[in-house]
Amino acid sequence: MTAGMTRRGLVAGGMAGLAMGGLGLPRRAVANTPVGFQLSWLHSVQFAGSYIALDKGWWREAGLDVTLMQGGPNAPVEPPVVAGTALVGISAADYTASAVAQGAKFKIIGVAMQKNPFVIASLPDNPVKTPADLPGKRIGMAIANTPVLRALCSLNNVDFDAITIVPTQYSAQPLIAHEVDCLLCWETDLPVAMAVNGIESVTMLMADHGYSVHSQTYIATEDSLASRRKELVGLMSGEVRGWQDYRADTAAATDLTLRMFPDAGLDRKTQLLQAERQVPLMFSTLTDAHGFGWWDEESVSANIETLALLGYKVTPDLWDRSILDEIHAG
Amino acid sequence: MRQGARVAGGMLGVAILLIGWQMLAQALYQGRLIAGPVGIVEWLGRDPGLALRALARTLGNAAAGFALGNLAAILLAGIAFLWPRLQDLVTGLALVAFCLPLIATGPILRVLMGPGEGPQIVLAALAVQYTTLIPLLTGLRAVPAAWLDLIHSYGRGRWVELAHIRARAALPYLFAGLQIGAPAAVLGAMVGEFTGAERGLGVLTIRYMRDLDVPALWGVALLAAGASLAAYWAIGGLARLVLDTRPPVLLAPPMRQLRTGRVVGGLTLALAVLLLWWGGLWLTGLNPFLAKGPWDVLAALVWAPDATQMRAALFGALRESAGLAVPGYLAGLAAGAGLAILLTLLPGAGPLVMPVAVALRAIPIVTTGPLIVLFLGRGALGTITLVAVMVFFPTLVACLHGLRQAPGHILDLLRVHAAGPLSQMIHVRIPAMLPALFAAARISVPTAILAVTVVEWLATGRGLGSLMALAASTSDFRMLWSAVALITLLAVLCHAVVAGLERRVLARYAPEQLRQ
Repeated sequence: MTAGMTRRGLVAGGMAGLAMGGLGLPRRAVANTPVGFQLSWLHSVQFAGSYIALDKGWWREAGLDVTLMQGGPNAPVEPPVVAGTALVGISAADYTASAVAQGAKFKIIGVAMQKNPFVIASLPDNPVKTPADLPGKRIGMAIANTPVLRALCSLNNVDFDAITIVPTQYSAQPLIAHEVDCLLCWETDLPVAMAVNGIESVTMLMADHGYSVHSQTYIATEDSLASRRKELVGLMSGEVRGWQDYRADTAAATDLTLRMFPDAGLDRKTQLLQAERQVPLMFSTLTDAHGFGWWDEESVSANIETLALLGYKVTPDLWDRSILDEIHAG
Repeated sequence: MRQGARVAGGMLGVAILLIGWQMLAQALYQGRLIAGPVGIVEWLGRDPGLALRALARTLGNAAAGFALGNLAAILLAGIAFLWPRLQDLVTGLALVAFCLPLIATGPILRVLMGPGEGPQIVLAALAVQYTTLIPLLTGLRAVPAAWLDLIHSYGRGRWVELAHIRARAALPYLFAGLQIGAPAAVLGAMVGEFTGAERGLGVLTIRYMRDLDVPALWGVALLAAGASLAAYWAIGGLARLVLDTRPPVLLAPPMRQLRTGRVVGGLTLALAVLLLWWGGLWLTGLNPFLAKGPWDVLAALVWAPDATQMRAALFGALRESAGLAVPGYLAGLAAGAGLAILLTLLPGAGPLVMPVAVALRAIPIVTTGPLIVLFLGRGALGTITLVAVMVFFPTLVACLHGLRQAPGHILDLLRVHAAGPLSQMIHVRIPAMLPALFAAARISVPTAILAVTVVEWLATGRGLGSLMALAASTSDFRMLWSAVALITLLAVLCHAVVAGLERRVLARYAPEQLRQ
């Protein structure tokens, strides 16, 4: 193990040195503990709560020097968390369940999206308002999401075979071009893009029809939960405060995002709308009562049921509330 | 006067092209699919700093990768040439590195190298090294036998041969390789950005695709294509500056084929790859959750409880991808060689056709994908066309260079006998082009696989590309590594088949290529 650490340290150190040397990046001299935080997608208001925590210095006060690691279409979250490059990653219950089935020792330590953001988006002249509208429709989606659609169908007694799946890239274009009748996408991206471009759309939130999969979940390894609790508590407590501030003023959170990432190509109108639309997915009477990131036993059993339909067998052990408990106790 | 008229004519042509483009953009889905020049210029004007910073970042990474990859290729070519016994191993390993699918290597590089520019640079370097190494090796052998005999009659060895004759003979081929590499480096850097880079053209591409910001998306594509074109032309200009001599007469006695050691060579390569695979995992100390060794892959595919399902999923996807990659590959080769011949017969068409050909390859496949799918449908035709486009460009460039290598003295002889351009083409130029065509055919095996998997990953969501993306996102690393191993193995095997064919043809038409 020691030998492994040394080899790894050597290689990583050498590469980091190369990267730094090549870029000439100034490295701040801080005594704080460096902590990696792997996001699940490109920088946007989707993670604005974290930006607030960083901007206000709450993590620094907790002794943490947090690096936000951007995600992307080819940037799986779980490997850096397993490898230790990131202390915490933003995953989703189904991806975490899959990784655990492959032997990773993850726990879900917080749930940002209480309601899964998956929707079926359609155009008003040919709308999909309930799962019963799906048979006979052409749906554009990644083949990889077939189990998601299958689960929705079986939760609502809809004939899956009566739906035509058209494999498409993740874009609203096939819907606008009438190549498909509806899209499987997130409430907070493609429908927002259409709205900003003046195209009205109808969205059916799958979470309102029994599809219960916690999304934008915070994951950490069992090792970290045992040995790096203080850092985990510091990181998550910053998240909780950041997201509370976000909810109070989504416009301010949007402007902070635009200010922090001028090179991300963010559009203010799009970001404002996205920031508004994700509020009802993240906050509920449950979080009002217990705080951001909370979950209850009822939602866990609903998750276990939906995950079983997706082909993942999990137990309530996958969720670990001890970090949130510690934050709310202290 | 005439110069002025030509410039005016060219400008009129460009103006008509721009107006037609703008009208087409307006006509199709109210500009929501294709952006016209007006929209693109508007986007550039809105925030030029953003576009330029992204361009600088991507180009910087592409240039770093381009330099590293080509340097590696030149070193490898030198090693392979000075120690001929090592040639098969060196080209084999370079081929394996080139065949590694980006979709799988990207995330692994990101975990190894952490945040920063590392994966973008490495992917760009991997994308260019092989396309330089192979033409370079071809060029090192494109030498008249008499010159070598002269060196040998003075009792001098391979080092003198390399320094005085072969290095110079290889220059045109090196430039061909560099030209092919320029767009590939940009594409490699952009795909590298998909693994979580903070900024660059690839990052903006993803953003604008989601945001449905069509003018911005096309603006980014145009910047990437423009930069690739500029690099391509700059290398071409440099080549014209440096290469002033006419190609020499190539006449060499036919050599007997060396068949011994083919099997031994294959086994050595397989052993070396396994050793590097296992040793690489050990050296980097990657977590076993993510890193699967040769033994894990064998277990997953042969005797694990779910091996049957694994095999079914993997080979099903393989059949789907192969059905698209093979026709696209053949079509691209035919189109590339055909157009090269046409351009040599009608040299006036060159300035018109070349920019289009380079642009087709240089515009990132990420943005052309959906457009070609729109025009040709989501069926097989769209993907096949994209594969053909990716194969077409290196073939065209290599074949044009090959056609130019036709021995001047023999062409003069034909001209003295009043032989027309067509018979010059058939009797002299096409045989002279064959080594380049085969070099392109070998290079294009991995390119075709890269193209088909990228389109499947980003546009159609089927086949091996989609399987690997899904495996990476659901942490199914046994499947991911199995797919990588299978794709690489197949690419190397297909490459061996083309190489076998090449030996047979070259033994007749270009025996100097087989001289050891």
